[in-house]
Amino acid sequence: MFSLHSTLAEPAGFQLWEKFLFSALIATSAWLFWQRFGVVLKKIFEAKKDADFRLAPLGRRVWDFFSEVMLQSKVIKQRPLPGLAHAFVFWGFCAFALVTLNHAAVGFGIGFLSPDGLFGRFYFYFAAAFALTCAVGIAGLFVRRFLVRPRWLGEHLSWESGFIAFLIFALMVTYLAQFFVPEGSTAVHVLWWAHTLTILVFLPIIPHTKHLHLVLSPATVFLSRGGFSQIPPLVGDEDFGLIAGTDLTQLATLQAYSCVECGRCTEHCPAANTGKALNPKEIVLGLRGYLNEYGPKGEEPLLGKYNSQEAVFQCTTCGSCEFQCPVGIEHLPLIIGMRRGTVNTGEWDDEHGAKLFLALERGSNALGIATAERDKFIEKAALPLFDGSQEYCLWLGCMGAYDPKGREIVADFARVMRYLGTSFGVLRKEKCTGDPVRRLGNDLVFQQLAESNLEAMTRAKVKKIVTICPHCVRTMAEDWKEFGVAPEVEHHSEFMARHLDRLPKATEKETVVYHDPCYLGRYRNVYEQPRDVVRAGGTLVEAERHGERSFCCGAGGGLAFLGEETGERVSHVRAAELAATGAKTVGTACPFCNSMFRDAFAAQGESAPQLVDIAQLTARRLPEVTTSATQ
Amino acid sequence: MKVIVAIKQVPERDAQVRVDAAGKWIEESGFQWSMNESDAYALEEALQLKEKNGGEVVVLSAGPERVGSTIREALAKGADRGIQVESDGLGDWDALGVAKLLAEAARSENADLVLTGLQSDDLGYGQTGVIVAELLGLPHASLILHVEKTDAGLTVKRELEEGWFQSIELPMPAALTIQSGGNKLRYATLMGIKKAKTKEVRKTTPAELGVTAPAVVTLNQIAQPKKQKTTQMLSGGPKEAAAALVEKLKTEARVL
Repeated sequence: MFSLHSTLAEPAGFQLWEKFLFSALIATSAWLFWQRFGVVLKKIFEAKKDADFRLAPLGRRVWDFFSEVMLQSKVIKQRPLPGLAHAFVFWGFCAFALVTLNHAAVGFGIGFLSPDGLFGRFYFYFAAAFALTCAVGIAGLFVRRFLVRPRWLGEHLSWESGFIAFLIFALMVTYLAQFFVPEGSTAVHVLWWAHTLTILVFLPIIPHTKHLHLVLSPATVFLSRGGFSQIPPLVGDEDFGLIAGTDLTQLATLQAYSCVECGRCTEHCPAANTGKALNPKEIVLGLRGYLNEYGPKGEEPLLGKYNSQEAVFQCTTCGSCEFQCPVGIEHLPLIIGMRRGTVNTGEWDDEHGAKLFLALERGSNALGIATAERDKFIEKAALPLFDGSQEYCLWLGCMGAYDPKGREIVADFARVMRYLGTSFGVLRKEKCTGDPVRRLGNDLVFQQLAESNLEAMTRAKVKKIVTICPHCVRTMAEDWKEFGVAPEVEHHSEFMARHLDRLPKATEKETVVYHDPCYLGRYRNVYEQPRDVVRAGGTLVEAERHGERSFCCGAGGGLAFLGEETGERVSHVRAAELAATGAKTVGTACPFCNSMFRDAFAAQGESAPQLVDIAQLTARRLPEVTTSATQ
Repeated sequence: MKVIVAIKQVPERDAQVRVDAAGKWIEESGFQWSMNESDAYALEEALQLKEKNGGEVVVLSAGPERVGSTIREALAKGADRGIQVESDGLGDWDALGVAKLLAEAARSENADLVLTGLQSDDLGYGQTGVIVAELLGLPHASLILHVEKTDAGLTVKRELEEGWFQSIELPMPAALTIQSGGNKLRYATLMGIKKAKTKEVRKTTPAELGVTAPAVVTLNQIAQPKKQKTTQMLSGGPKEAAAALVEKLKTEARVL
């Protein structure tokens, strides 16, 4: 029986016919593998090159690979239990590489790991430990998929997954069993063959199923664009975004084939969770279906048989999908890419969308209001004009300049700046940063707005910008890069957090639930600063979904300007979640979120919590001044 | 079907207008310019006619060099080529003078249809299109919301007062002035702008067209309107206030 003195029993004395049979089986298995894998590889290499691809910075890529692939950090962090089970299977496979190589060599009588040698003995035990955890892991995943059945894995039970789980389990069992059988017995031989056959059946299944991610996803993670929602620049006069297969780049193709169908993207998607057509997983699988049928040289439109225009325009660009994806798929460039393809060619026919585009082609703001209204507000709120002498340019944004509540937030934040003695001024004229048109895929208007704003800022000699709107911050800091260098820009939460020690502390602490705006959290990685600001004025409570997992308010991606949603309203779902914390106050840090919740709470009636921006939360504690003006 | 659309470039809708030193025109420096709104609707009508019946859409505009950007915008939205009558200082020309320029530029084109907006957003004479029709000797109708090509010519939908519409039949060729709001405007696209780069814009001058500065109407002075605001507060409970409001909307504001 097994004791610590047991060693792995390795078969010996293979017959010649066995060696021939083994060779033939290896060749068949490899051939079957290549039958599919070769096709996929060919499609990836045949696809259009990513013009903006740079290998640098290599350090970031190596780190992503080490952290996300080797350490399985994202897999574990975002879904701890199944994530750990998956990690054990993955680490088991890694540990098994050497064992499997030796296993095959043994078949030809040239095994190089001896159970009697020091290293061999150590390594077989080492692998055995991994085999155990791997077996437990895969059993756990099997139970989850077939008995627990979380809904984001889809309604359809994947029998291939079950079979794969069985094969992995069998691999581990046939390996571990070798420790328990006497050296030289027939059982050793039988186990060897059982293990071998399992591997040889497993291999060709990989490229034919979603287990293709075993081979592709390490490359996908390593090669990903990095950053967040990095929208590639259009190249040349014929590039209008993703219209047909010919527009799908090598990265897009690689990503489409890497999807492991885990459904993390779907689980966190605001559209998929409120009964809309959009399901980010299906977007990626749709592209894969397209590539399977038409390939990267396909002339058929991408929006048609495999993906729908309706779904693509339901995305709030909250970025949960891209943030969650464990195999390095970048959903936003894909979804926005398909929007670009249809908007840049004039195919997208939407009444509200066209109205927004026309407002920004002709006017200055997304709300379509006369700029004279902005001038009136600046005068009424007594905001100083930026003349180059002040430290900060206070950027109002469309909401800050035209929306009544946005104006209150700006006025209150201006009070905070005045109290701190920070000099600031507002520009005489501003145009929308282009955020909604960027996300909706209108590159013409986006470019016009970015260039016009950049020029105005250079002329006004703006060095530092602070604004209440995370959408403005993101668009200026990242999306404008294509057209020039924007001044340094920060969100008011970052500014206030830095000066907290100079602001009065609250005497009475109310409970405040803070809602993370997508464009501040996932897009900018700012989670703590606004919380610090809240803590200075109240007792922070957290909604069930917060931080990296915060649920969208429904306004992003230009959707605030489009028509009525189908299904449940995203804003109502989120507002209910915030209210359910029992907090007296909801603290926001984005004028769009604020506006969405304002409507949602209004629908809820009198029991609704109070809704304020964190700048207002701060301004409340300042001593009264006589010349405070709003609206 | 060949359609000519006469388009005017006007100051951006919410531009802050200041009277210039001479008091005869506005201070143009630092201005943003855009397509006159009802002309944009005329262009949209022309593009839809072309999409339905085939043919060609030619845009025509008179003004200084900057007018070229508005012609490009029209080309980007789908017009096939452009004609620019280049001249500085058309600001104080009267409607007859400008109409002569447009009519002469359009004459050799022998278009089936000449469209233009009902009136300009800046001067608002509402005459230019009508005079162009007269100069070209074409039948015309104004305040048109919708144009349909028939075997005999055209059927147009014309806006009357108080929500009434009139349906008229006209022979072709004809000239029409188009009212805003009859169609949904299309947005400009990147593809359109790129295509517009290769489209032809022919330039001509008043001298080449044989038109000299007219003096039928002379502009003496322009001035900012005086600000005046009369706010009335309605008293009483919600019921009485609402009744009073309805009464005022009917009799004073005349919007009901």
